[in-house]
Amino acid sequence: MKFLAVCGFGVGSSMILKMTIQKALRELDVDADVVHTTISEAASEQADAIFTSKEFVDDLEKRTKAKLYPVKTYSNLEEVKKQVQQALEDHEE
Amino acid sequence: MAETIDKDHMQIIDSASDYGEAIRTAAKPLERDGYITDTYIDEMIEALEEHGPYIVLAEEFALPHARPSEAVKETALSLLTVKNGVDVKGHFVRLFIVLAAKDSTSHNRLLQGLAEFLMEPKNIQDVIACNTTDEIDHILEERWNTT
Repeated sequence: MKFLAVCGFGVGSSMILKMTIQKALRELDVDADVVHTTISEAASEQADAIFTSKEFVDDLEKRTKAKLYPVKTYSNLEEVKKQVQQALEDHEE
Repeated sequence: MAETIDKDHMQIIDSASDYGEAIRTAAKPLERDGYITDTYIDEMIEALEEHGPYIVLAEEFALPHARPSEAVKETALSLLTVKNGVDVKGHFVRLFIVLAAKDSTSHNRLLQGLAEFLMEPKNIQDVIACNTTDEIDHILEERWNTT
């Protein structure tokens, strides 16, 4: 399974979000790929789940088939972990 | 390249009139020391206008940054605490860490350390409570994992 962390420039916020997702996956004992990218490249990346801010979720909705998971606070491990669990459940169905 | 934040690049102020002033103040030491040009500061503020407040990455914490460009000469972080806080598009923020990235990979390790640091909300509150940059430096030295 592949997760994508997305922000405006793909250098700061999405990198932090990627690290929070990786930590959540470790705590859940799940193996998955996590990469980070910019909003302009997100739609062309192959991914199962895209994590990003609410604003970018609205923007990406029309342009990707991947499931979208909004995250309010990128370094909030509890919030990110909940969304990771949801993504893992959705992926199994 | 420094592995955390240079003490000369840390500041503590009581208040700022708005987030623009806070970001300008936070970035000033990097401009003074030639890590960034004034253009990068404008770009960070524009980015916030354009993309919304997702740079607020944790409770009371924001990471102002823009895309890597020629306006960044050296990858670095600078830090500002605003004791009374300032509104960043609906979020109350008291700790700003400016990220100046020269390219898309050179800051990888810096941000790895920062990400781990931020995941413990107490760290942010402890930095905000500091009254001197020596105290902040000490907390980072102790808790910011650089390995």
